[in-house]
Amino acid sequence: MSTPNEAQTAARTERSQRRPVSSWREHHGWSAANSLRRLASKPVGSLLTIAVMGLALALPLAFYLLLSNVQSLGDALGRNQVINVFLKTDQVASNAQLLAKKIEQHDGVANVTVKSPQEGLDELSKMQGFSDSLHALDNNPLPYVLLVQPQDGVSADTANQLVDDLRNEQGVDVVQDSGTWRQRLDALLGVGNRAVLILAGLFALAVLLVVGNTVRVDITSRADEIGVLKLIGASRAFVRRPYLYAGIWYGLFSGVLAVALAIAIEFALADPVARLSQVYEGKLHVGGLPPWLLLAVPVAAAVLGWLGARLVSAWQLRRAA
Amino acid sequence: MGNAVIRFDQVSKRYEGGHEALSQLTFEVAKGEMAFVTGHSGAGKSTLLKLLALIERPSHGHISLDGQSLAKIGQSGIPKLRRNLGMVFQDHRLLMDRTVFANVELPLVIGGIAPLERGRRVRAALEKVGLLDYERQLPASLSTGEQQRVGIARAIVVKPTVLIADEPTGNLDPQLAVEIMGLFAEFQQIGTTVLIASHDLPLIKRIKKRVIVLDHGRLVADVSAEEVL
Ligand SMILES: Nc1ncnc2c1ncn2[C@@H]1O[C@H](COP(=O)(O)OP(=O)(O)OP(=O)(O)O)[C@@H](O)[C@H]1O
Ligand SMILES: [Mg+2]
Repeated sequence: MSTPNEAQTAARTERSQRRPVSSWREHHGWSAANSLRRLASKPVGSLLTIAVMGLALALPLAFYLLLSNVQSLGDALGRNQVINVFLKTDQVASNAQLLAKKIEQHDGVANVTVKSPQEGLDELSKMQGFSDSLHALDNNPLPYVLLVQPQDGVSADTANQLVDDLRNEQGVDVVQDSGTWRQRLDALLGVGNRAVLILAGLFALAVLLVVGNTVRVDITSRADEIGVLKLIGASRAFVRRPYLYAGIWYGLFSGVLAVALAIAIEFALADPVARLSQVYEGKLHVGGLPPWLLLAVPVAAAVLGWLGARLVSAWQLRRAA
Repeated sequence: MGNAVIRFDQVSKRYEGGHEALSQLTFEVAKGEMAFVTGHSGAGKSTLLKLLALIERPSHGHISLDGQSLAKIGQSGIPKLRRNLGMVFQDHRLLMDRTVFANVELPLVIGGIAPLERGRRVRAALEKVGLLDYERQLPASLSTGEQQRVGIARAIVVKPTVLIADEPTGNLDPQLAVEIMGLFAEFQQIGTTVLIASHDLPLIKRIKKRVIVLDHGRLVADVSAEEVL
């Protein structure tokens, strides 16, 4: 070493010339790597914590997946379903044609097909077991039927209005509409969606608590180390930073685990859903998890982990001081 | 005296609910000087060092360190003060789950020094205490004397102006104790101001440096290096 004064002056200028940005980067890089090393140094405990958090996050995801499948099933079955309008038996062909023309002008109607009693009878007689009993009838008991096809993506209000108007038409006996069960399904889906949100909120809270407790235990067991760090000049932020990173790592890894579990569930469901889709002539497009969600879950979990660690470490480090 | 690095002016310390641990203590330590603080157990040696590191605050009086009044340093300024102060403890306070290298590196990480520069300075410090070959080992695998030397390397790696040590040889046999004290004397020779609390009078007499003697918190003798028998 050079002369004492030179050495000290050099040390001092070195300190003052150091750019704060690079020092910030050093601190964060060191804390991130260090906290990761700590997690790896007790793999069983870390993995268990991550597994618990991952499962907690996967549950709402699985529920969401189920719900979105039911929803698309409902869409495939319910929307644009033909409305059957049965006319009274005293209605003749001209009445039926007239009414069909009128209905075609109605809001939300794509087209109207008239099915005569004879066509109805022909259809029935093609079905096995019916033909014999039908021959026994003297005259055709079937009414005219109007098949009303709603427009694509017509709103529920318009559809309801349409059905109401059809019921009030002269000469209409019965209106058969799939809208009622569709409404019930929609209401049920609404409940389900809300339930997913509540579930996600509760499990997010659980994740927060798990991270918080893990960090609390960690800080307690490292009281000596924290004391040493303070004695050699570590700021509060420096002491705290590895715990915040630990929270981020816990969150991130559990988020990735949750997404992996959800994808596994999606695969497990893929086969039966494909079969279901065939039954509905491929109308059923099964929605998996959207890509943005696969990215958002780990990020959100990391933020949650950071938040949990932040809340607890502030309080716990103040207690340790 | 213009070149005093440590200055105590009428300093008293009364712990909460306790008696006076230090009373009206006045002394100075010059730049590049090495001094011992001695006295019986409970005389106030550790308290004196704690006041310098702002682990405790004085009840009365004025302390300045390297020209800076400690009273003016708030809670948030304490880390910065300690970063420029080398501290050695009787129980070395190493982190037992980190290597020797990582322990010595810690103050540099806290100081925001880049990795390459850190490695260079850690090795220089370890070389000075003769432990360069031990950098990958855990402290537990080292002897007590070696652990204490790691603690010293950690204190000097930041090139502090002032080095303080509380009973740094308390756990060591006499031969090792002399060795460690010799190490401190070497740092004094390169310009560091060194203040060591120790109750080991025979050892202190062998080193032949200034001795400040406390008794029940009062300064009862201040013997210059030349006067030590
Ligand atoms: N945190 C504290 N709270 C109350 N009293 C304290 C505290 N620390 C020290 N004291 C008291 O202050 C006095 C001086 O203690 P100090 O530790 O400075 O002595 P010392 O000279 O270092 O002794 P030793 O040689 O045993 O280490 C003692 O009477 C002690 O009991
Ligand atoms: Mg003591």
